[in-house]
Amino acid sequence: RDFRSADVHPQDYPTVMTVKKIGEIVSQKTGGKYNVKVFGNSSLGSEKDTVEQVKIGALDMVRVSTAAFHGIIPESMVPSFPFIFRDIKHFRAAMNGPAGDEILAAFDKAGFVGLALWESGARSVYAKKPVRNLADMKGMKIRVQQSDLWVSLVQAMGANPTPIPMAEVYTALKTGLVDAAENNYPSYETAKHYEAAPIYSETQHVMSPEVLVFSKKVWDTLTPEEHKIIRDAVKEAGPYYIDLWTKKEQASKDAAKKAGATFVDDVNKPEFVAAMKPVWDKFSPTPQLKALVQKIVNTK
Amino acid sequence: MKWLTWLNSRLSRWAMYIAVACLLGIVGVVFGSVIWRYALNDAPAWSEQVALILVINVAMFGASAGVRDEGHIGMESLVGLLPAKFQFWVGNLVGLITIVFGSFLAWGCWTMAVSVWTNQIPTLGISEAFRYLPCVAAGLMIVLFSIEHLIAMSSDTKVIPSWH
Amino acid sequence: MALTVLCISFLVFLLLGVPVAFSIALSCIATYWTEGFPLELAFQNMISGMNVFSFLAIPFFIFSGELMLHGGIADKIVNFARNMIGHRRGGLGMANVVACTLFGGVSGSPVADVSAMGGVMIPMMKKEGYSADYAVNVTTHASLCGALMPTSHNLIIYAFAASSSSGLLMGKDIMIKGVSIGDLMFAGLLPVIVLMVCMLFAAYWVAKKEGYPIRADGSSTLDKFAGWNAVLTSGVAALPGMFVVVIILGCIIMGITTATEAAGIAVVYSLFLTFVGYRTMTWEKLMKAAAKAAKTTGVVLLLIGVSTMFQYIMTILEIPDKTAELLLSATTDPIVMFLLINLILFLLGTFMDMASTILICTPLFLPLAIHMGMGPVQFGIVMLLNCALGLNTPPVGTTQFVGCAIGEVSVEQVMKSILPFYGALFAVMAVVTYFPAFSTWIPSLLKGAPVY
Ligand code: NA
Ligand code: NA
Repeated sequence: RDFRSADVHPQDYPTVMTVKKIGEIVSQKTGGKYNVKVFGNSSLGSEKDTVEQVKIGALDMVRVSTAAFHGIIPESMVPSFPFIFRDIKHFRAAMNGPAGDEILAAFDKAGFVGLALWESGARSVYAKKPVRNLADMKGMKIRVQQSDLWVSLVQAMGANPTPIPMAEVYTALKTGLVDAAENNYPSYETAKHYEAAPIYSETQHVMSPEVLVFSKKVWDTLTPEEHKIIRDAVKEAGPYYIDLWTKKEQASKDAAKKAGATFVDDVNKPEFVAAMKPVWDKFSPTPQLKALVQKIVNTK
Repeated sequence: MKWLTWLNSRLSRWAMYIAVACLLGIVGVVFGSVIWRYALNDAPAWSEQVALILVINVAMFGASAGVRDEGHIGMESLVGLLPAKFQFWVGNLVGLITIVFGSFLAWGCWTMAVSVWTNQIPTLGISEAFRYLPCVAAGLMIVLFSIEHLIAMSSDTKVIPSWH
Repeated sequence: MALTVLCISFLVFLLLGVPVAFSIALSCIATYWTEGFPLELAFQNMISGMNVFSFLAIPFFIFSGELMLHGGIADKIVNFARNMIGHRRGGLGMANVVACTLFGGVSGSPVADVSAMGGVMIPMMKKEGYSADYAVNVTTHASLCGALMPTSHNLIIYAFAASSSSGLLMGKDIMIKGVSIGDLMFAGLLPVIVLMVCMLFAAYWVAKKEGYPIRADGSSTLDKFAGWNAVLTSGVAALPGMFVVVIILGCIIMGITTATEAAGIAVVYSLFLTFVGYRTMTWEKLMKAAAKAAKTTGVVLLLIGVSTMFQYIMTILEIPDKTAELLLSATTDPIVMFLLINLILFLLGTFMDMASTILICTPLFLPLAIHMGMGPVQFGIVMLLNCALGLNTPPVGTTQFVGCAIGEVSVEQVMKSILPFYGALFAVMAVVTYFPAFSTWIPSLLKGAPVY
């Protein structure tokens, strides 16, 4: 049978291609008994919707941003803490190591099986003007997604968080309803936001991972051997994802540049990092979460 | 029959009160957040989620009152061609089907509410179940309203809408 | 198997006269059951369909329309239109067209338009010597402009239905995903104006041919022109009501609000206008308007919610791909394909409600249209025109029913003189289908980037 998996991205996006790849490996190892079919383009609903569907066992798998789990699993918020990762190497070491395992294990309590945490680059602020330090951010209206963490983060930067649905962001930037938005290269490029906000300042404030989860309801009907096959396939596809993602990021940046976007590199990051202490404190209220934060920070 | 009419007319009136209050609430929240953004340069983060929960209330309570007042769009032109006796039976069947729908609505939304009980709505901090609970109430009301219609049909009377 | 269950159960429920929303929901639940899905999925779909911020515009538009209706704006608009062209041959007919179009910008839907304007105009026209079927046809067709005017909740429904369709636009090689509500609103402006002109022409042509108005004594004299003074005064009186459209579009263009918030501003404006400006609103009327709006919102949003179940099943069963394959095997010529799509939409529209047709057909045909080079904005206007036409075709035509009920004539009677009006609609439909710029020019201009 086909495991049904959902994604909000189009069929040629790295996350979708990798889940398909996992399907190929699983199919090969189970002699065609199991396969994976990916429904991309949010055709089965938003990230929040598909997560609920996985919970009740209507869908077998889903790939979402960990942000979709912020209201469900507190541990999923930790890797979205601003500036928690020093760079992409640190991210990979932490998320493929014990810290990543601890976060994935936390999915179990909530009725999910966490399979993998993948990188999605760094999110930065883009606007009509460059943002180099906190003074530049003062009083700016910045579009944020519906998430407490992002609201607090933008507030800590001294700007005004303005929640607006993704579909309205282009117009909102164009008309000046908001002054800025924040996202990674591929989203900046595909949504053509560079037309309305051509200056992308590399604040690189958040590196929240993508997560691939399996429905616990369905998982429990499979045998331990099948569990192993799926987990191994996910592990095997890891490097494939990183390769696709790195190319995608570069291609998006180049395309945006070619279309007239400017990338500002000389951002005063230490100043930003220093301002984020209250956000970390607010979202790691328990000793157990604080320990997880330390585990990530201490990862070499 | 009498007590059911008594109960239902009150239920449907209260459903409309809630729906109207929520409708005015949405207008207030959205207008308020625009004003806030301009006057204080600070948009309240929770306004979107509050408005969304309110609109589900408007829709579900409005829709269930619509069942009592026969406001839902259906294709009755073909049934109208049947002889009176058949029309009576088809009418009863439609009433029963509506009861089935109402029951599914109440059960399904309750099951979902339980499933998402521990999920928090971002920026509000309350349970996601609050999106589903109005539908449970609406489902139960639809069942009660349809029973009333069935009884009215068999005694050849009409249900008097509580809101026109 | 699943598809058979879905189609057969849906048809049976529909034919029995079960309300459309319940028919869709129950046939989807039956399908989930045959496919082995957990049944509560249906209700997860339903809530996710309603849980869309842009949909707040639906209760807003419906509410502001009800406020305008109960606040007596309709009468003021009729007065103005009548003073302006009431003295020409077929003058009341043409006045009706103008009034319906203007009120279309105020009210949220064609049905509200017919009940508001028809309630005033149809009895008046009958009294002044126009035949009932002419009066009904003019009103019901002119009110279709309301389907395209910026306050239309049908535009919002389309935007939702289109939100998950995507593809590479043929000829331009641009990745398209979903559609912006703001773009759609502006896209409707030019087609509405041309539609109004075509309807004016049809109204005039029929009146000229039949010699309307024919007085009770058999004479056919025309009213005297009320004078520019009267035109001006009644125009000024009607203007604040029609200003709603300007407010909505203005708020979006100037970056004051998003499209959804603009609809909320429209409600506040309507409240202010009817309470403070015209002083025609009372608390009792307000409650009545709000209750009616809440009930209509319930009916419409429930329909949207259950249609999400339907779309989910179509996605799982890959129906849009299969339909596209089937149609592509029939023709690969865009011109023929668009004709084919129009024809299917028209046929479905004859027996389906506007909202249901939009919700079911958009995910079915939009990917194909994109593949054939028609963008989602243009396709939206084509879709809305087709659905609007369906409102005036038997066996199920909502505005036609309302119009006939007000005019006290049968549908058969009305059908006898309907052709010129259909002609006007078909003409606009052809232009919108085959000349993209017709719908995309204004939004592109305002956005400063091409819109498709
Ligand atoms: Na309108
Ligand atoms: Na029709």
